[in-house]
Amino acid sequence: MKHYWNVYKKFVSTSVSVETSFRTSFILLVLMDIFFFASTVGSVSFIYDHVATIGPWGKNQLLFFITFMLMIDNLHMMIFSQSFWEFSFSIRTGQLDYTLLKPLHTIFSVFFRHFRASSVVNTPLFLGSLIYNGMKINLSFLDWCLMPVFLILGLVLLVIIEFILSTSMFWMTDGTGINFLRMQMQQLARWPEFVYRGVIRKVLMTVLPVLLIGSGPVHFLLGGKWNNLALMGGMIVVLGFVLSFVWGVGLRRYDSASS
Amino acid sequence: MSDEILIKAQGLTKQFISYKKPPGLKGSFSAFFKREKKVKDAVKDFSFEIKKGEIIGLLGPNGAGKTTLMKMFTGIIVPSFGELKILGSNPWERDKNFRKRIALVMGQKSQLWWDIPAMDSFLLLQKYYEVSDEAFKARIDKMSDLLGVKDLLHIHVRKLSLGERMKMELMASLLHNPEVIFLDEPTIGLDLVAQENIRRFIKDYHQENRCSIIITSHYMQDVQALCDRLVLIFDGKKGYDGSLEDFESILGNEKSVSFTFSAPQDRENPLWKDYAATWNEDTTHVDFRVPEDQLRSLSAQIISQCEVDDFATEKLPIERVMKELMNNPEILRQHD
Repeated sequence: MKHYWNVYKKFVSTSVSVETSFRTSFILLVLMDIFFFASTVGSVSFIYDHVATIGPWGKNQLLFFITFMLMIDNLHMMIFSQSFWEFSFSIRTGQLDYTLLKPLHTIFSVFFRHFRASSVVNTPLFLGSLIYNGMKINLSFLDWCLMPVFLILGLVLLVIIEFILSTSMFWMTDGTGINFLRMQMQQLARWPEFVYRGVIRKVLMTVLPVLLIGSGPVHFLLGGKWNNLALMGGMIVVLGFVLSFVWGVGLRRYDSASS
Repeated sequence: MSDEILIKAQGLTKQFISYKKPPGLKGSFSAFFKREKKVKDAVKDFSFEIKKGEIIGLLGPNGAGKTTLMKMFTGIIVPSFGELKILGSNPWERDKNFRKRIALVMGQKSQLWWDIPAMDSFLLLQKYYEVSDEAFKARIDKMSDLLGVKDLLHIHVRKLSLGERMKMELMASLLHNPEVIFLDEPTIGLDLVAQENIRRFIKDYHQENRCSIIITSHYMQDVQALCDRLVLIFDGKKGYDGSLEDFESILGNEKSVSFTFSAPQDRENPLWKDYAATWNEDTTHVDFRVPEDQLRSLSAQIISQCEVDDFATEKLPIERVMKELMNNPEILRQHD
């Protein structure tokens, strides 16, 4: 683990070094994240100016859910998002060759490689908003203690699903479609599960369980409901095995671009 | 060189699948629904062994399968068939210790980060390969000194020339002191001075570290300067595997000879008629190849019968042998 941690620290420092060399782009990324945050929270707030509840939740509950998901999104942007785009590019150009040679697990070398420093600047905004909305729904001391664990679990489930989807790039080569599918999945996950109905809901709770990312932990924090949280834990384990298998198959399929 | 075998390939085959696409918009539509699949053997039934400390040149025309072989040796791609053991491991199992013992340099790809100085990439590689601070510093100092790039370590990679970048690529690949080094066209696109610098560096590094090196190149000078053994590959199949000396005599023990005459000569003169001579326009200069055992008597006859201004002879250049083999690979089958 120490080896991985030492490498990861270097990933972060080299990424910061690269990102801060392009100052205007860095500032634009920070502003874009703030705009995304404001538009998401603002739209929910606007809806609640006209309705009292959506499903079983009032404005405070839903805003807590939304800020919980935005916090996961912030962590995702910071740690993983750039690597997904780079992965697609590196398969197409054969740049992945060097990554596969490194003496570390290939999933780590591929998906933890690019850290987005601009997202760190906005973390206080996302975290502050989550704490503010958590206080409004009177979370207990235990809930606050569990919150970081739930955030990590949510992030883990999200990225495992995305890793699995991205593995298909080994066959497709051009990953643009997959990257848009990933973003669409994130979009779907930003709303609680009760917003969806029928088959769609079942699929998004089991086959591609993106709805569990927020609904599992938040239902537990709001009302002590265990079922979605337990399902989420089970899904992380099952999908972890699926990822391990399909990633191995994908690597064997990798042809590398000719030089 | 020891007798320990570091690389052993047996019946290595790699098939690639590609799809044909007819040109134009109509072709794009039809290929979207129905594609004609084409299976190509990039490498076919390739077997060989490399001993510890050997430095081998892997030669062949474009598309012969050299880079595919390098990628299989390093575990980047998985062979379709065959067995391969390098340092006792199957490369495509991607064992961590195996990956720490090999290095790959690709002349047409970069492992350095484009937007930061090379030194930052080296520091990252130090962590990847768990190189101690002392060893890291010593190797950086030594290699940058030998390659003459000490002042460039803190310059952004995108600002470096191709030659400078290739030197940095070499340093990046050798930081962890690998036992087996794969160099895929390390001098491609470089000017003559840069090529010479890189060659000298590789030679010195090999002598000092006694590592095993496989090098692919289109430049025969690379091979002549560095390799004791050559492996030729044509259409994915091994054509020749032997010493550089034997390779030079593959077309027979011939020498290249040229004469410059003070007056035009008759092309049909029996002295040179049978040697596929190449003449200049006014037939005052001729080049041809002659078996080594006939050189002395033939030269004496020509000099005595014609007015010769200049006369030169040299061993058949390796480029010429290679060119001949690329045009006529069946020569190798006759040679076997």
